[in-house]
Amino acid sequence: MSNSKIGTVEAIFIILAIAISHSTLSLPRNLISQTKSGTIINIIFITIIAIVFSYLIFRLMKNFAGSDIVDIAEFVGGKTVKNIIGFIFIAHFMICSSMLLRNFCESLQLVYFQMTDIIFIILLFIIAMCICSSLSSNATFKANLIILPIALISIIIIFLANFKSFDPQKMFPILGDGIYNTFFVGLLNLVSFEGILALYFLPPYLKEPQKFKKIGIISMVATGFYLLLCVSIILFIFPAFTNINEVMPLYSAARYISFGTFLQRLEAFFMLIWIITFLSFICIACKFSVSIFQKITKAKDSKPLINVFGLLMLGISLLPKNLAYTTFFESKIYVYLTIALSFILGIGILIIANIKKRSENRNIIKSKSIQK
Amino acid sequence: MKVLFKKYLVIILILLFLVAFSSSYNANYITKLAYVVAIGIDTSDKNTYSFSFQFTNATSPSESGNAEKSPSIVNTVEASSLSTAINLMNTYIGKRINLSHCKVIVISEDIAVNGITNQIYTLMNDTQVRPSTNIVVSKCTAKSYVENSKPILENLITKYYDVIASSSKFTGYTSNATLGNFINTLECSTCNPVAILGGLNSEKVENTSDLNHNEEDSTESNESTISGKRGSENIGLAVFKNDKLVGELNAIECLSYLNMNNEVEGFFITIPDPENNDEYLDLYLSPTKPVSVTLDIINDAPFIKVDANYTARIYSMKPDAKYLKNEVLKNISNSCNSFLESTFSNYLYKTSKDFKSDINGFGKYALSKFWTTNEFDKYNWNDNYENCFFDVQVNTNVESSILLTET
Repeated sequence: MSNSKIGTVEAIFIILAIAISHSTLSLPRNLISQTKSGTIINIIFITIIAIVFSYLIFRLMKNFAGSDIVDIAEFVGGKTVKNIIGFIFIAHFMICSSMLLRNFCESLQLVYFQMTDIIFIILLFIIAMCICSSLSSNATFKANLIILPIALISIIIIFLANFKSFDPQKMFPILGDGIYNTFFVGLLNLVSFEGILALYFLPPYLKEPQKFKKIGIISMVATGFYLLLCVSIILFIFPAFTNINEVMPLYSAARYISFGTFLQRLEAFFMLIWIITFLSFICIACKFSVSIFQKITKAKDSKPLINVFGLLMLGISLLPKNLAYTTFFESKIYVYLTIALSFILGIGILIIANIKKRSENRNIIKSKSIQK
Repeated sequence: MKVLFKKYLVIILILLFLVAFSSSYNANYITKLAYVVAIGIDTSDKNTYSFSFQFTNATSPSESGNAEKSPSIVNTVEASSLSTAINLMNTYIGKRINLSHCKVIVISEDIAVNGITNQIYTLMNDTQVRPSTNIVVSKCTAKSYVENSKPILENLITKYYDVIASSSKFTGYTSNATLGNFINTLECSTCNPVAILGGLNSEKVENTSDLNHNEEDSTESNESTISGKRGSENIGLAVFKNDKLVGELNAIECLSYLNMNNEVEGFFITIPDPENNDEYLDLYLSPTKPVSVTLDIINDAPFIKVDANYTARIYSMKPDAKYLKNEVLKNISNSCNSFLESTFSNYLYKTSKDFKSDINGFGKYALSKFWTTNEFDKYNWNDNYENCFFDVQVNTNVESSILLTET
């Protein structure tokens, strides 16, 4: 049983994996286009908000130890609510990961495989995901534990290798497009803390559930630092990427790296790391989707479900006609969808559940006092 | 049965992906590719542009077993765009042109004056073109620049292109202007781009003016007195305002540009000898710390204060030299300071008043004077740069001569 549980570091890395894989696409540029030079101050601001939210989630889930959001939804409104909430989260995981996968594959095709049909590239990810997910219950999380530090190092290398062009003055004007844009419109940048969604599903997997608070806060702080690093690369070193819509800004930044004439064209190496990181992300999305579906349908064997979800992911990712659709989804629909689910629906269910729990407790105390 | 099915499935999948991702499927293998090392873009009478492609011979000297120089081939085609030119050239050579080893993009002055945004964006849109590709604005036609670019001390043309731009670190007479930096500065609201100024040397250009010793610093490509086996040369910089060529910097101005950007490790200068006004002294200077720049906005005009620090060694020797005397060294230091202050000031005012182009990106120091991007946009740095005034302070410490201290 203990083998199927995950440690604190594994849990933190699951949350980070979601932000890191998204950042390899156009997340850093989307953040900057929202708040311009005020992005640095905006990220600090939204990191504080994300920490507050993660603490709130911890406080609200404290009364439901070992349960995830689907179990809590069942407590709130029975099977109907459980099924609705479960399917909403499955739909979110499947649609968002499929669209991001399509976006990533489109970029990969543009950069390296211009003659290869997109279906082959997507299929490569889907097959790898199905194999990895069906290996053992925690193969996904363990693989993520290995690849994520490498992905983090790759971003640090991009930052350090381009450090000679670092202009800290580019963080000014400090308020970007003004206070309203930096602190109110900039709240949309909370999408970069999409990993918070994983907090709703982690409790049943945790080896040490008492460290849930620590996991939430550390992962939010780490995501904040990571985003600062990504945004710094674009904002301070490559100002052109804030105006020009490059397919993968971090990949473009990696193209500038060379160590003398001996080590050049390292971007292919970075791309390989990010491919595995992205694979890890879709595995996590599939894992959560399958586990929610199992909870709803009470299916015992997850292996056949993995293949079904894999095919579903393939189908959804083939739906968009071109890169314009996936980019629109990533920069617009995904933002509102993720914020609505992570910061409104999830918290809303938890608040209702806590109110219900409190009134139930009161009723028990009342009935006990009447009996006395 | 289940195991057998799985095995067949794995084999089918492997075969499927082998076909989908293999190079033969893409027809992109080396014998079908022609590697371009330089592209020259000129204006043309018939069509919009004339594109010159410089190819490297696929048989390297090591493969052929001798140390002879590998010849390069230059082919020219007239077309309305780069992609059309590549297509036409592909048809002519029967191979697919590959730009992943393209080291230099040469653009003629005529095109640069009218703006090169389209060419720059098109090149950046190509996955094969590297951001490290050098941009050269040629004072002669781009075709003759490319044709005359031949390696003398290297065996391969690619090696030659690798070393020409890197010489800026120790000469200061040219800059490693790359496509990546060009697009970065083109898109930047606080700076403007530059490119390497290329041309032909005295053997190839007949109208080269006779330069005396004192005017060596003011030389630039197409006007130098260099004669040698290779016809092309790279001295000075081409200055752009947005995407249009607005002027040229000569050797000493290029040195000033590199100093302001902290991109030079050491350089020679010739200053008037404080002990004898008719003579000159050669010094080798190296910066002791990065050039410090402070900016204030006074009466809506930017006031830029530049502070540069160097150590120097006396390179040229003469009879009766007393380079161990503190007073002599101090006099040389003062002479060097005033020479550099006037050189840097002239350069800065030239970029501000003549070119109206902030190629050193001083605008970034103005950013902190504003709270919001709107306020900065309203100030319009690019238009206000011409109102700049400068205060340059140079502090040189002449330490000694090199091996001979007194004669």
